[in-house]
Amino acid sequence: MILRMNKVRVLGPREQYPEALCVLQDTGVVHLTVPGLDGRLLPLRLSTWQERESGHLRRLLVDVEALLEALPTTGAGVGEASRAGHPGGLPARRDLTRWARLVSGLRPEVLGLRGEMAALAEEHALLSKYGPFLSTFGVILRSERAWPHIAAYHVILPAQEESAVAGLKTALVLVLGEGFALETRRLPGGDIALLMLVPEADALRVESLLAAAGVHEIPVPSGYEARSLAQALPRMMDRLESIPQELREREEELERLTALHRHELCNARRGLHDRLRTLGAMPLLGATQRVFVIEGWVPVAESDRLAESLATSLGGETALEVIDDHPRGEDVPVALRNPGFLRPFEIIVRLLPLPSYGTVDPTPLVAGFFPLFFGFMLGDVGYALVLAALALLLARRSTPGSLLRSVAAVAGTCAFWSLAFGVAFGEAFGNLGREHLGIHAVVFDREEALESLLLLAVAFGFVHILLGLALGVFTTRRHPREAAGRALTAGIVVAGVVALGVVVGYLPEIALLPAAGALVVALVALVAVEGVLAFVELLSAFGNILSYSRLMAIGTASMMLAVVANDLGSAVSVPVLGVFVAVLFHLVNFVLGVFSPTIHSLRLHYVEFFGKFYRPGGMPYRPFGHWDPGAGWT
Amino acid sequence: MELLAVTLGAALAVGLTALATGWAQSKIGAAGAATIAERPELTSTVIIMLAIPETMLILGFVVAVLILTRVG
Repeated sequence: MILRMNKVRVLGPREQYPEALCVLQDTGVVHLTVPGLDGRLLPLRLSTWQERESGHLRRLLVDVEALLEALPTTGAGVGEASRAGHPGGLPARRDLTRWARLVSGLRPEVLGLRGEMAALAEEHALLSKYGPFLSTFGVILRSERAWPHIAAYHVILPAQEESAVAGLKTALVLVLGEGFALETRRLPGGDIALLMLVPEADALRVESLLAAAGVHEIPVPSGYEARSLAQALPRMMDRLESIPQELREREEELERLTALHRHELCNARRGLHDRLRTLGAMPLLGATQRVFVIEGWVPVAESDRLAESLATSLGGETALEVIDDHPRGEDVPVALRNPGFLRPFEIIVRLLPLPSYGTVDPTPLVAGFFPLFFGFMLGDVGYALVLAALALLLARRSTPGSLLRSVAAVAGTCAFWSLAFGVAFGEAFGNLGREHLGIHAVVFDREEALESLLLLAVAFGFVHILLGLALGVFTTRRHPREAAGRALTAGIVVAGVVALGVVVGYLPEIALLPAAGALVVALVALVAVEGVLAFVELLSAFGNILSYSRLMAIGTASMMLAVVANDLGSAVSVPVLGVFVAVLFHLVNFVLGVFSPTIHSLRLHYVEFFGKFYRPGGMPYRPFGHWDPGAGWT
Repeated sequence: MELLAVTLGAALAVGLTALATGWAQSKIGAAGAATIAERPELTSTVIIMLAIPETMLILGFVVAVLILTRVG
């Protein structure tokens, strides 16, 4: 439902406005608006000093948030910070000074540690590339120092150039005869590691041979250039072993800093946001030489609490008065409040602009009809169980109140209705349940009773559109002609459906005369009230009802695809392959079977149902309060 | 002959409405893609609008079913 609002005015001595703002921020229920200004009541502008303070606080906030980003999000201090209660009130000047000092001291230290860690990680990644070569030729490389007149060459060839090894060996035999050693090993990634040992006297000839063949030695990384790879590798590997320890030391230092300062930084962030909000709210106040005026919207249920808080904190000199207790119009903010079990369905309503104040919040109706239509289309026990499992998984992986948790709740409700209709239609993965699990249709078989399915779908449409027209009468209650038009359209729809029912033989003939009479009278009345153009609205209402036949069409298509998946699976002669094909097709059908009903159920609500009564354009209710990390606006 | 007429009627009911839906969706889809590129927050609205022309195909399908079950 849409919360009822009162427009209130807070009046008091000008010097009390900071305390009054503080009370409003603590109660967090007033959506501030600019008061009606005249020659004497002027907006309360920020002083030069306050503007400078605002800029300084914004820069400090950027630094605090950068520090919180750089500090680890796990470990000691984090839990404490997240559990910390709200400090209440605004930060004192000494708090701001302390936070500025903390940030100026901590920032270089934390960012320096982060920089060192990044450099160490980069060095580790670079040195790791030499690891495979060392592990392959480790024994030979360690004994290289014992061969004073031997030159070693280290090469890694790509896997696809394996044939080059034989060519290289032939060329070396031609140049050096038997006076060399060539060892090759395949590395885990498929590349080939080569180690060549040749007499130092022949080094120049070998190097020119390698250059002619386009084979390049592994480069020695920076910092080790003065040595050969054979000399550098052991040092590099020692370094590789020591880097994790150095990384750990820096991580421990960051964790120590987190444990020491994160709580204070979180308080700083909260305090800075709150102070900036207060400064941002000040231009919404009006003031004369002696008094201040604050105006805003408060939910009716919160008005007394606000008055009590102001009286308790500021005494009798500041007063709260309700200046409009039956507001109308688009400037009234809109807040949706629904019981916990309905709240997840607000995500469907919130995909559209909020409803205008004084109209209807359709969330409870969406909670009833959206899963019902979804279940009617999917209507399969097997798919419903898979969907329920996914909804359960999503619920476990998401935090309470998050968008994902709402999606999980909606999916769970849809799964329930899919299960119910699956039992009614006797379907589990299409006809698999009927043929192999002994499931039978309780109501009717969708494969056979297409007409019954179509009638049921249109009946859903009839009820839904009629409900929409009834809500339309309510939302247009202040415009009698429009309301009468909606009511007459609803009457014509009922009479028309009854008459049609008699004609096709579903209803007794006795109902025909009253229905036809009502139809004629209502048609004449409708033309009298809304003119000839009312026929367009009337035809659209009948068209909207017929549009619900998509419930049957999509449901039938989903069921037929499941049957095709089973038929294809059983047509394959190899059982394992057949199961694989069937599972694959069922997977595709499941994705389609969830996506398509969601889209079409949404469309039936937004286009057909909401079109009869929904008036978008509500302004979101944003009360002036303390900063909330979940809401995140300053 | 009658069977041919019935099946041809059902096929035309689905086929022609499918072509019309496809044509409409191609126009909406192109405009929708451009909209999403500029304003990603309108993604859900675009998806809904893309689903609107499917009414034609769905009604065509219903007519085909009625032709096949009632006449066929």
